Amino acid sequence: MADTASGSVDRSVQVKLVLLGEAAVGKSSVVLRFVSNEFQANKEPTIGAAFLTQKCRLEDRVLRYEIWDTAGQERFHSLAPMYYRNAQAAVVVYDITKASSLEKAKSWVKELQRQANPNIVIALAGNKVDLVKSSSSAGTMSTSESEDEADDATATPGETPSVADGESESLRQVPREEAQAYATEAGLLFFETSAKTGEGVVEIFTEIAKKIPIEHILASTRGGAGRPGVTGGRDGARQDGVNLDENQVKGKDACNC
Amino acid sequence: MATISTQLRNFKEPTKEQLTHVFFSIPEVTPVPVTEKSGSEEDLEKMEINAVLSLGVQGVEDSYAGKLHLIPPYLAFSSLDRKSVRFTLPLSTVRRVERLNARAGVYALSLSTWHSMKIVVQLTSLRPTADLFCGLLREALKYELQRGQMKAVKGFVKSCYSEGLVPTSSTVADNEREDGSLINETKEGSPSPETSYQGGLGLRFKFPGDPKKLREASKIKLWTTYLRTHGRNLTLLRYPQCTRLVQVGLPNRLRGEMWETLSGSIYLRYAHQGIYEQTVAEIQGKTSTSFEDIEKDLHRSLPEYAGYQSDEGISALRRVLQAYSHRNPEVGYCQAMNILAAAILIYMSEEQAFWLLEVLCDRLLPGYYSPTMHGTLLDQRVFESLVARCLPMIHEHFQAVDVQLSVASLPWFLSLYINSMPMVFAFRIVDCFFCMGPKVLFQVGLAILKINGEQLLQIQDDGQFLNLMRDYFASLGQSAHPESSDPRARAISRFQELLLVSFREFAIITDETILSERRKYRNQIVNSIESFSKRSAIRNLKTLARFSKEQAGFIYDALYKAICEVPPPPDVAPAPSLLSTADGQQERPETRIGLATFHVFLSEVLTWARNEKIVINGFQQRIDREVAEHELIDRLFFFWDTSCKGSLSFQDIVFGLDGVMFNDLMDNIEWFFNLHDKNKDGFLTKDEVLTLSESFLFIFRYEIGDAYLGAVSRFMTNAFEYGDTLLPQMTDSETGESGPEPIEPNQPYLNLATFRMVVLADELLESFFEADLSASFRLELVPDLELPPSSSGFLGDLWSNIATVDNKKMFHKFSDELGKTIGKHQVVYRPTIGRYTKLEEPKARESLISPTKATSPSSSVTAISLSSKASSSTLTVDATAAQDAPLSASLSSAVFSPMPHMQAVNAAFMERTPFAIDDAGDDDDSDLESDHDGDDDQVLDEVDAFLEAHDSGLTDADIELAKDLIDAEPVK
Repeated sequence: MADTASGSVDRSVQVKLVLLGEAAVGKSSVVLRFVSNEFQANKEPTIGAAFLTQKCRLEDRVLRYEIWDTAGQERFHSLAPMYYRNAQAAVVVYDITKASSLEKAKSWVKELQRQANPNIVIALAGNKVDLVKSSSSAGTMSTSESEDEADDATATPGETPSVADGESESLRQVPREEAQAYATEAGLLFFETSAKTGEGVVEIFTEIAKKIPIEHILASTRGGAGRPGVTGGRDGARQDGVNLDENQVKGKDACNC
Repeated sequence: MATISTQLRNFKEPTKEQLTHVFFSIPEVTPVPVTEKSGSEEDLEKMEINAVLSLGVQGVEDSYAGKLHLIPPYLAFSSLDRKSVRFTLPLSTVRRVERLNARAGVYALSLSTWHSMKIVVQLTSLRPTADLFCGLLREALKYELQRGQMKAVKGFVKSCYSEGLVPTSSTVADNEREDGSLINETKEGSPSPETSYQGGLGLRFKFPGDPKKLREASKIKLWTTYLRTHGRNLTLLRYPQCTRLVQVGLPNRLRGEMWETLSGSIYLRYAHQGIYEQTVAEIQGKTSTSFEDIEKDLHRSLPEYAGYQSDEGISALRRVLQAYSHRNPEVGYCQAMNILAAAILIYMSEEQAFWLLEVLCDRLLPGYYSPTMHGTLLDQRVFESLVARCLPMIHEHFQAVDVQLSVASLPWFLSLYINSMPMVFAFRIVDCFFCMGPKVLFQVGLAILKINGEQLLQIQDDGQFLNLMRDYFASLGQSAHPESSDPRARAISRFQELLLVSFREFAIITDETILSERRKYRNQIVNSIESFSKRSAIRNLKTLARFSKEQAGFIYDALYKAICEVPPPPDVAPAPSLLSTADGQQERPETRIGLATFHVFLSEVLTWARNEKIVINGFQQRIDREVAEHELIDRLFFFWDTSCKGSLSFQDIVFGLDGVMFNDLMDNIEWFFNLHDKNKDGFLTKDEVLTLSESFLFIFRYEIGDAYLGAVSRFMTNAFEYGDTLLPQMTDSETGESGPEPIEPNQPYLNLATFRMVVLADELLESFFEADLSASFRLELVPDLELPPSSSGFLGDLWSNIATVDNKKMFHKFSDELGKTIGKHQVVYRPTIGRYTKLEEPKARESLISPTKATSPSSSVTAISLSSKASSSTLTVDATAAQDAPLSASLSSAVFSPMPHMQAVNAAFMERTPFAIDDAGDDDDSDLESDHDGDDDQVLDEVDAFLEAHDSGLTDADIELAKDLIDAEPVK
């Protein structure tokens, strides 16, 4: 209530986020983990793009992520601009057990940096770390997904692993350092994640939330009807986004999922 | 660079004939039998004729005027409005054709089909035309008989569910007598009523929806009645009642068969029996990128349906998708096809689904699933324009809040709504889609927006739009008017409302609307796809080398143009999917061009890779440009193919050009040397020196004067002189003369230093390497083929009217001929270097030819001053012919007057016999209603909701006549 009085009518900031990456790197799984903390076979096949929302609390604000989970098949590439236009954030996913998927990720990053919203926050996520970690953390999830393991047959022993962790590490084709170096050079947030175990997934969205120029979004939203390049939470009457936020303790730095 | 597709560029609007084929769902290409004794199908003529169709049972249906098409091996009819009545009969199902004995001046035929249906067609054209038609029909039928197709019908129809619905005892096959009929068919024993029909997974895993709620029994009853009198599967006649029954939803068991009948895929299956099994056998053990993609999606295709939680369903889905991608590698596999395939497999067998998938991807949803998905993008654009036209308020609101329609509508179209709404409803839309064509997708889409209009005007962004649509689709089963006091109104579900709005309010959306809208936006879509792929091709280059983005863009354009002209060979199946290369890098498929395409490409960017003839014929001057062929150009190709793949990628070409375009004198000399040093040992052999000299001659082939010839000849002399002096000396013991050791022509002979020395000894060659070589690569638009029109006279005007490529060629040929006759024809080759514009003999640098002095600083200075002139090309031929043009104007006007003729044709085309008489109003099937219980009434209520006026296009007298004909006796 006090917040409302302090000026901003709506504390929920709407952030459009798009997921890009090669087919079967686990984009949908990452989203599913973030949105409903689940891991399972896809219920809805991704045609064009799936649309999901999730709130994420950052200090005294609630970010409402509008997540566009795009189809990974190469031929859907030309449709992607439809989904990443006006996006304030992007998560580009690759599969650490498949070197070519990083190449595709790089090409997505290039495209985003040239074609998308100039202020876009991009995070690079190397998914499927569970495949190269010893089984300690991987066993927690009961549901296993066939799609996730689908292309492991193609994996060959790659570069010498930096953080050797048993023989399963040999599945890794993209060394963490290499991807990290690329991410730093290109100015991206970088994470290694596992949609299966949940490792690193929430962090992506929290870190993005920190980096998003929220004030900028709020300013342009409050400005009125004109909405150049950003979709903000302009709808003061949004029901679902606000409730949780009110009367909440400030200073929490984690997503509420 | 991924792949460059020129498919879009090569698109041609369908011809009228193709459109007719599409309309009647006639398979494009019928397989030609390998051995043919007499008369192939190509010899069988097509013909169309005005006709009046009556069904041979009094009172069942009205008569309809329309056109009868003979398109061997099919006979097709469509009523004048193109929607009320139509049929497509394979000729092999026609069992008897008789000329009817009727009133004078009436020419009528009675056709009996396999399903003992009698159709009477009255040919209303003039008698000779009718005779001709009958003659052709007889030929076509005879041919079918010879092909043995007549016998194929019996086995085939057994695979259809409808045969079990309608008792088979009355088929012609059983009671046909051997009389004087056109077709003589020997009959074996009466067909046993076995039920070996093909069906889908639904038979085992249940069909979606509650059969009681779907009123399956009543629907089956209604269809049985219809199919009994109007033929079925191959011989189905589509009267208005058929469309209405489809609109209330097909019964589950019949659905698969009706889908293939209505979409016409049944004709494909009929004409290609056994092909599916064969394809499945072929792909055993094979693998491809499509197969991998398919594998990923198998468990994501309608996973909630029981059939796809079992191995049986998954394997069937895998086989059908793989077989299709194998049969049509150009399309391969696109996500969303899995959903379609999974959906149709519930209702049909694998074989049926395979052919239906082909009809879907090729004809009904053209280009939807292609690698560029251009069809999808195009139809989204068309849909957007239809929304702008039919629902302007929604369109404006969407524009205002920057909401993109496609975020919601793309999956609607791509998966035929199956992915968007509950399956039971989506399948009813699919029913209508197969029956009435792709326009249904647009009509339903518009209706969805219209029904939700008020809420749509409230939305502010894409997300809200999607949520609204999701909620709406989830509520389709609810009553549309829950508050209404009228129970009948309350009973109308939101889905029924949706269909009514679709087909009533958006009946204005016709096939023609869609076609013409597609034509309108096609170029726009193609351009945006092409510029998109150009941008990403350039972005995905590993390096631009020293080129700017614009220059790389130009290289891409030239490459693209070349690929359009000479398509590269089909992708050599990249098998690295399973064998990862050493560094784990998986190559993505990319377009690589072969030698032939390279020639065309190079002619775009390199002056000496093309021949340019300046043709002057008295009317015009123009430059005829052709691709030059020479060993040197092939050499360049292999020189640039550093990975030795026998093909070049965009990146290879960028590197290749980079290697020569930014060079200075020394770099260029070395480059040229390396180009000819085949084994890269740092030495040219004697043979290679000769080849190199030939390369010089080729490059200089059109230079004016003898200067270059002299230079090359001096080069050869010097090269061999210095080459010899540098060889180990030996003394001939007999003659006492000393000389170089004899050397084989393929042994190392001339090294780079010597070559450089010899080149620099010649001013002309030096200047060539200094600037001309690099400058002959030009990243700029090659100027248009024509010089600017020389006169505004008659020919000039005419010119602007005939500017298509073919016409230009004709015009050029024509004006050349004229030019020759009046002695003005003249052809000059344009020099590729163009340093000398007039004959002049430069002096050789005698002083420099000395082995001790390799370079001279002064010489390069002169060369620079010379080369500044070189960049301007040497078109000195004057436009002298301008004033001659009017002279020939009268001469050519007789030949070049296509316009009046075209107008006449157009006029003839526009003039059609008017059929304004509108006598057929709504027809109630009241006689039917009494036969059914209340349940059926409900169905019929729904049926009646779709009643539309059907114009039979006949006068009362015509109808009377048609009725008479039904009872008429055959002529003996």
